[in-house]
Amino acid sequence: MEKFSEILFQPFRDFWQWFVKFAPNLMAMLIIIIAGLILAWLIRLVMLRILRVINFDTWSDKVGLTALIRKGDVWAKPSDFFGYAVYLLLAVVFVMIGLDALQIKVIDNLLSQFLLYLPRALSAILILIIGYIIAGFLSRGVLIAAVNSGYHHAKLIAEAVRLLFIILVLAMALVELTIARGIVIAAFSILFGGVVLALAIAFGVGGIDAAKRIIEKAREEKKEEKGRDIEHI
Amino acid sequence: MADFYQTGIIVTLHRLGRPSLERIESEMVEFSKHRPIALVLPALYTEFQAPALQGIIDELKKVKYVNEVVLTLGRATDEEFKKAKEFMAQIPYEVKIIHNEGARIKEIYATLERNGLWAGEDGKGRSAWIAYGYTLANARSDVIALHDCDIVTYSREMLARLCYPVVNPNIDVVFCKGFYSRVTDRMHGRVTRLLITPLTRALQKVVGFHPFLVFLDSFRYPLAGEFCMITDLARVNRIPWDWGLEVGVLAEVFRNYSPQRVCQVDIADNYEHKHQPIAGNGGKGLVKMCVDISKSIFRTLAAGGIVFSDGLFKSLEVTYLRLAEDTIVKYEADAAINGLVFDRHEEAKAVEAFANAIKEGASTFMENPMGTPLIPNWNRVTSAIPGILAMLKKAVDEDNK
Repeated sequence: MEKFSEILFQPFRDFWQWFVKFAPNLMAMLIIIIAGLILAWLIRLVMLRILRVINFDTWSDKVGLTALIRKGDVWAKPSDFFGYAVYLLLAVVFVMIGLDALQIKVIDNLLSQFLLYLPRALSAILILIIGYIIAGFLSRGVLIAAVNSGYHHAKLIAEAVRLLFIILVLAMALVELTIARGIVIAAFSILFGGVVLALAIAFGVGGIDAAKRIIEKAREEKKEEKGRDIEHI
Repeated sequence: MADFYQTGIIVTLHRLGRPSLERIESEMVEFSKHRPIALVLPALYTEFQAPALQGIIDELKKVKYVNEVVLTLGRATDEEFKKAKEFMAQIPYEVKIIHNEGARIKEIYATLERNGLWAGEDGKGRSAWIAYGYTLANARSDVIALHDCDIVTYSREMLARLCYPVVNPNIDVVFCKGFYSRVTDRMHGRVTRLLITPLTRALQKVVGFHPFLVFLDSFRYPLAGEFCMITDLARVNRIPWDWGLEVGVLAEVFRNYSPQRVCQVDIADNYEHKHQPIAGNGGKGLVKMCVDISKSIFRTLAAGGIVFSDGLFKSLEVTYLRLAEDTIVKYEADAAINGLVFDRHEEAKAVEAFANAIKEGASTFMENPMGTPLIPNWNRVTSAIPGILAMLKKAVDEDNK
């Protein structure tokens, strides 16, 4: 009977001993996470204040960043959105650090992988944002130039330039994130190369006559210039 | 049948003989292939509970030349917006509802405001303006027609006649305003009869010839809420968000286009919608309307180089009163020959109230000549916020999913 009670209560005793050993880690994790969340919230508030002081929202409206986040059906102010994004990112970081305090090997590995990947994710986001803004500028520039040159399909050309640039930016972001790197590079090279080749062929075939005229005109002008030369006796 | 007199400096299209609706509509179907039409309907949710809107929807169901309907809904909760969507689903072609009180559209207004572009307070002006923005963003229509949603006597002939001059390439006007009589057992339309026309003519007497006054006086019903225009006009027009909307729109049309490309068309034998009391609560009623209209006219004239002074306004008040009283006599005779009820005392009381409204409008104008609010035009808005039309389109499309 004594042996049976020993068998019955031993797992509980083992668990209790494990728990007593593990409890400080758990407490540390909870403290880190709670303090981290509070800190993240405070950083968010400071960031919001700074963004409002520098008129980040109106700047976002002008450069098209607001339009970009609206495409994702996000209707908060850009400053609120970025403030919240930073808060979420910091919260994830603090949760990971907190989990590290548990000193469980699997979580340790996960954390190191996460910390290694974090700079890549941030730079991919940055590439996307800056790329989108540059795409907008390029598209407007092309539109203005094409309209001033009298092209009938100015809007189409501007949109094509924007699309190509966004494809380039997406490819860059995916490469940065190391997602199917080989496939992305191959797909991008084929797509971009294909478009450029198609444009070159279209321009070449369509422009044979124009090129011929330009060359002939240049030749004639050269001949005329030669004929006008005054030969000294 | 109406006479065929051409009024003033704009083109007047009368209802002569018995024009066939089928003929006009079949022509409209052809014309609209080249100039697609967007119908803008500013409405409050309360209008969905009134019988007039069901009548309008029943008529619109039969129309085959409208490309899209943009209903701009005011004072509605999210739940009421859903009900409005279900109600409008009766129309067999594309209908989009702009939920002005919804979170997405409110954020659009907030975006405008933080960029120094105030779209004004909630009202017909702002509602119509945002609907023009959506039509421009959608880029599917070349012509915009607008009418109210409280027309009890609505028939699809009204819409056909309103749009015809703008979509017909042989007529090729840029702006067309409807006109009609508003008669039941008596004459209605007091603000047009007893304020606009006498005030315009009094101004002509006091300040002398001014092209805008001639233009304004050319309209038989300048306050008619029904008009049709090319979408370019929606892009360049700045409109007031208050009661000065109709006069403000005419002022902008006058500023941007030749009167020869502006017309008015007889759209109905009779027209009936809700009647407003002379003085209402909370900035409503005809008096508030008259103050806003007067300010809008004064501001337009001042922008055209007219110098206003206290003396000029005093003369104007007296001249207006005299002309308005003369007008009452004319309408009394008109009512007598047509067997209509005519309460001369009520009409005189209305004129007195309108005279006070002109006085108030003048004093507000003198205090702050730039005070009459105008919503910036869409060209300026897109220049300040290049992505605003895309945002607006996304907001409306998401709301309508």
